[in-house]
Amino acid sequence: MDKKYGVYICTGCGIGDTLDMEDLVEIPEEEGLNCTTHPFLCSKEGVALIQKDVDDGKVNAMVIGACSRRVNFDVFRFDNCIVERVNLREGVVWPHSRETYPALTEEQKEDEEHFDRIQMKAEDYIRMGMIRLEKVKLPTPYKPESFSKKILVLGGGVTGMAAALDAAKTGYDVTIVEKTDALGGYAAKLRSQMPVSAPFETLQAPVADKLIQEIQGYPNIDVRTGCEVARIAGQPGEFTVTFKKPGERIPFDVPFPLPEEMLVDENGKELDPEAAHAKFLEYNEGRKDILNLDPDGELYGAVILAAGWRPADLSKMGIDHLGFDLPDVVSNHEFEQIAAKGKIVRPSDGKPAKNVVFIQSPGKEDDDADFDYCGSVTSQVALKQARYVTEDYTDGKAYVIYQHMRTPGLQEYFYKSMQQEDGVFMTKGAVTEVKSQGNGLEVTAVNTLLGENLALKADMVVVAGGMVPVTKDDPVVNLAYRQGPGFRDNDIFGQYADSNYICFPYETQRTGIYAAGAIRRAMTIEESIEDAAGAALKAIQCVESANRGMSVHPRSGDMTFPEFFFQRCTQCKRCTVECPFGALDDDAKGTPKANPTRCRRCGTCMGACPERIISFADYTIDSIGSQVKAIKVPSEDDFDEPPFRFLALICENDAFPALDMVGLNRIDYSPDVRFIPVRCLGSVNTIWIKDALAQGMDGVILIGCKHGDDYQCHFVKGSELAEVRVKKIGDALSSLALEEERVAFVEVAIDEYDKLPKIINEFVEEVDALGPNPFKGF
Amino acid sequence: MTETYLAQPDLGFIAQIRGLGGDTLKKCYQCATCSVACPISPENSPFPRKEMIAASWGLKDRLIKSGDIWLCHNCGDCTDLCPRGAAPGDVLAAVRAAAITEYSQPKALGRAVNDPKKLPWLLGIPAIWFAVFAYITMAHGDVMTKIFNVFGIAWSHAHEGVIAQANFFSTWFVDLTFVPLAGAVVIIFLLSLRRFITDIHENAVMEGKTEKKNIDYKALLQAVVKTIPTILRHEKFNECETNKERATPHMMVLFSFIGLAIVTGVFFIVLYVFQTPGPYSQLNPVKWLGNIAGVALVIGSGLMIKSRLDNKDQISTYKDWYILGVVFALGLTGMLTQMARLAHLEWTSYILYYVHLIAIFNLFAFLPFSKMAHLVYRTTAMAYAEFSNRK
Repeated sequence: MDKKYGVYICTGCGIGDTLDMEDLVEIPEEEGLNCTTHPFLCSKEGVALIQKDVDDGKVNAMVIGACSRRVNFDVFRFDNCIVERVNLREGVVWPHSRETYPALTEEQKEDEEHFDRIQMKAEDYIRMGMIRLEKVKLPTPYKPESFSKKILVLGGGVTGMAAALDAAKTGYDVTIVEKTDALGGYAAKLRSQMPVSAPFETLQAPVADKLIQEIQGYPNIDVRTGCEVARIAGQPGEFTVTFKKPGERIPFDVPFPLPEEMLVDENGKELDPEAAHAKFLEYNEGRKDILNLDPDGELYGAVILAAGWRPADLSKMGIDHLGFDLPDVVSNHEFEQIAAKGKIVRPSDGKPAKNVVFIQSPGKEDDDADFDYCGSVTSQVALKQARYVTEDYTDGKAYVIYQHMRTPGLQEYFYKSMQQEDGVFMTKGAVTEVKSQGNGLEVTAVNTLLGENLALKADMVVVAGGMVPVTKDDPVVNLAYRQGPGFRDNDIFGQYADSNYICFPYETQRTGIYAAGAIRRAMTIEESIEDAAGAALKAIQCVESANRGMSVHPRSGDMTFPEFFFQRCTQCKRCTVECPFGALDDDAKGTPKANPTRCRRCGTCMGACPERIISFADYTIDSIGSQVKAIKVPSEDDFDEPPFRFLALICENDAFPALDMVGLNRIDYSPDVRFIPVRCLGSVNTIWIKDALAQGMDGVILIGCKHGDDYQCHFVKGSELAEVRVKKIGDALSSLALEEERVAFVEVAIDEYDKLPKIINEFVEEVDALGPNPFKGF
Repeated sequence: MTETYLAQPDLGFIAQIRGLGGDTLKKCYQCATCSVACPISPENSPFPRKEMIAASWGLKDRLIKSGDIWLCHNCGDCTDLCPRGAAPGDVLAAVRAAAITEYSQPKALGRAVNDPKKLPWLLGIPAIWFAVFAYITMAHGDVMTKIFNVFGIAWSHAHEGVIAQANFFSTWFVDLTFVPLAGAVVIIFLLSLRRFITDIHENAVMEGKTEKKNIDYKALLQAVVKTIPTILRHEKFNECETNKERATPHMMVLFSFIGLAIVTGVFFIVLYVFQTPGPYSQLNPVKWLGNIAGVALVIGSGLMIKSRLDNKDQISTYKDWYILGVVFALGLTGMLTQMARLAHLEWTSYILYYVHLIAIFNLFAFLPFSKMAHLVYRTTAMAYAEFSNRK
């Protein structure tokens, strides 16, 4: 592309009033670029003005100095043009006013004492915008060689069936893989399910049968029972899937990473990489490497993971005080099985169980926690099963002792209707003991709503077990990925298959694999059906984006992808290891193989690469590095007391919008800081920080998302990795006699805009106290 | 508090409470807004939160033995503020009705009073009784005179030439009916109270509502004396917000009963000691008191009926209408009887008097069983609260 540059500056929204436009326009003009100003650039006339230049072939790479790129992005969109938005409004004139920083008089402009900090910032931003245009390219989308739009659904329960139906109804081919011999899942084994429609008061027949029948009406749904996935290789749009019978051992079973205890030798010392690899090969003998594609594998575009849950094994929960060894103390799962067979009878002697106590929490007195993997579903199941008791026996009595009774949303009506049952008795309380008493059981509880130590006589006791996601036991998806067959770091989600379910439901840490239903969190049948629709839509979005060479999420529509300059690759594997999404697979030598449709375009690999050989069409080490270098660092040659200069690399997902909000609210902060938005702090290569300090900038601050167990990072690991890298850079700084404090890392949530000015100012003050960068002026 | 309580829910009791107007008993989710809202609930172990869970669990033993249910004046503040649409006031009213049935022997009579199907019996039996004696008075006065002369007692208490109820229904028969009846009522109450006091004390000890270990009957009696002014002044009643206007009619009815009791007592003494029968002159101060009380009774009970008809939030059940009907009918027929007599409408006056007698019978005979028994139970419970230092 032969770039033709143009600069357009809007003087509206206070930009022209605050800035000296003549001086500003000089910046591009000095470089020989045409610069146009307009009082209302986002108006029809303003846009037409640019469009005319584009149509006349005068411009195809432009700087638009106006508002933040987060607004009017649809207005300033010109096909086949590179557009660089320079944030003069939210970034310069809105936060910094002339009341705080008065304009200079003509004499002041000439002396070496005064400087205009707002004008300096605006001019730097224009310079930074111009250099970026020079350094970036328009992206050419990546298209896979072979391509499939088929959707694979793992699990034939309610969620899997509902997802398959939703996808099939929109015209996609779907395959359902079910490990057991029949569709239906757990729902097919219930006596009744919780109400799903108004007035939410009565139990109803499980929907499983209805869904099974409905599926038969769709020829584009292929049902495979008694079948599981041996491996899923490749990438979204072209997943190569090998199926097998459950329990079978085949060469295309996915290799498993070594369990932790095998990574050490007899003396407990960690194995060196070669020994570990030898052991790994031995451990996976007979299994083909992940890069071997199964020639008989079937092609799929995206995968919906609906493998569901299993009942918790209560015998291993250490709840001896609940008499779990007594025959008439059962789990809610076992109780459901008894109920499905007919009237509720005691397992010990087959006699009617008319007095049933439901225990929701194991805690005794000191702990009010529920059982693991319990939640609102367990509460509702207890209510449902209590109704079985009053349904079967007019004189039946069901007691529910809970620490938490959760009936969210409209299920509150269900709770209310169950409360109305004469034979249902509920109280909060801590169950202290269940013991055999005469011909039945006695349950004792304390801290109940009835005011004292409570004893109940029961024929049967039901203990509320949780719904354990099957991903706790098994990767299920069996991905042929170098990072391993399952999802990474699932332990922070209690082994639920999820990545960040508040911001991005359904998305797992593997692009193209969408989780739905009880594998994501404990859900009712109603919730699972709704969840299935979400995951099906997400899978469709994935195949339709991969098809066009676009990123699926969260950078939906991004057509760039990582490109490698392999000649300089040292096969250090850092990119493969650090990619939060397992997008890269290295070969035996360690050379990374990119799988562009797995990639979410965060640039974590770019930040990781010590050789700096990874780049994106419009986002490269050089493009950001050149922007850093375009910042003018005033020295004593320019002014008697030159202002300090700071670089802020700011995450464009949460921190940058927060900064825009600071501007929007006209809150001032140090105007000596230059902000460069980055895709993710994970993409920050430490070279940028070194460059900034080397050219005399006084400090660098990285502003990104919160990380840890409750991380808010859009790319899961980015900000965490950035903090590690910043810590490491500290040593290098001290060798240059620079203080570690000159580089800082902070976390900001999107709603913490009010804290941002203080964070920035405190950093500036701290560096001020250190004095100027000794390299300034070199 | 450390003792373990074996909860044995009684499904029959839940059904009974539902039937007595407490059908919201299962709506409670134990937020205790009611206990906070209640203006007269004590700070230690306040009601009616705990009563509500006991009711929804069908814990009959806990409820009917609780003195607290009687401290409630059913002012309706709790019902008004309940976020779940439960009506703790009405539930407690139902529980009180169940408690009356439980304590007053024979229980069958208690159940009959709360059962609308039994109403014809409750009215029919006294109707026949009084009809028989009216017939004897009217048709066989001479025979009765002879029988009474054997004992040297005058039969008739009627004046010659004036309309007097005694001409229709002998004063002797009135007193031979009501004096033994009053005796029976007192005995029933005494027997009930013995169990009642033991039970509420036991309950208070169990729930930690009192520090007293034993009941000191003398102190309890002193507490009754101390409590009476509170009752007469309707102090507790006046603390209510929602149904504040109910206090005045209730006070009118209470004071008119007291007035009528005085009049009846005076009449009884004058008749049997001074041998002077009625009717008295309208100028007689006793007559004044009787008339004022009678009017107050009619207006008071009439206002109560009106308030129940107007107030759709408060549940009114058969037990409420029965007693209001009896009181209103009693007052009205009493006044009309006198007016008919003064208007020289002899038979109208007699028929009204007949109805009046039936109403009085219903009030008196079923006093320990009807809602009216609260007179005794509430007074006792309030005195016990005073005695046991319930705060």
